[in-house]
Amino acid sequence: AEEISALPTDVDDTDNIDEEAEFAAWKLRELLRIKRERAEKHAREQEKLDLERRRLMTDEEIARENQKLGKMTQKEKSQMR
Amino acid sequence: MANRTATDAKQIHGTNPQFLIEKIVRTRIWDSLYWKEKCFALTAETIIDRAVELNCVGGQYGNQRPTEFLCLTLKLLQLQPEKDIVRLYIQNEDYKYLRALGAFYLRLTGTSHEIYSYLEPLYADSRKLRRRLNSGAFELFHMDEFIDELLRSDRVCDTILPRLQRREVLEETGDLSGPRKSVLEDELDEEELEELERGSESEEGAVSEAEGRD
Repeated sequence: AEEISALPTDVDDTDNIDEEAEFAAWKLRELLRIKRERAEKHAREQEKLDLERRRLMTDEEIARENQKLGKMTQKEKSQMR
Repeated sequence: MANRTATDAKQIHGTNPQFLIEKIVRTRIWDSLYWKEKCFALTAETIIDRAVELNCVGGQYGNQRPTEFLCLTLKLLQLQPEKDIVRLYIQNEDYKYLRALGAFYLRLTGTSHEIYSYLEPLYADSRKLRRRLNSGAFELFHMDEFIDELLRSDRVCDTILPRLQRREVLEETGDLSGPRKSVLEDELDEEELEELERGSESEEGAVSEAEGRD
């Protein structure tokens, strides 16, 4: 135990040394989190919309879009084995 | 008593709560001097005295020695204090390491609903925390970042966190009312957000700079 406590604690975790800077740093972190949450929400919604759209399409249309997106057809896939 | 779990402790996630810490780490904790010297015969109340003395969070360091933070976590798992007491640990304003310990313990043992409802308010806590890295060196980070890790990572402080249900699922089933509300939400106007969208790249650079400065 002595050995552990003898190690210097080399960073200072005292709060409110520079209140303004600390608050600004926190605010930035929080804003980035909000932004991240919104981006995730947006991505989820987009995926949902895309799913809905594809469900309403016919098989040919899906096949055409897959081709456009560069997705492999079932046949090509089986050849890859 | 020693290393046994309290006899009236409930199973957590279908197992003995102490098993939430991996066996190898658990054994190292049981072998550690801090555990034997300072954690013997602690109760939910006296453990607070130890938690108040904590000066860092972290998992293992140096020669895979467990930190005191991890030792106390295992002690909590062993004692299984009541939910209300854990809530008090988290809601206390004065001792940030007690709060961190409570938050970590709740993340290990709580239900998804509890975890979101008690940990998310701590996003507003910007206090500094010291973290012990694997190398034994210390690093400065903040309570809100710690909470963010608890809610989003799989592994914190060398401990695998139990699975947490995704927030949006709980929102859909009505367990949680609405998305997370940030304390900044009220003063946040659309302009500011748009600005954020535009300046995201440069802002991210600013974050790492700001962190380097601390």
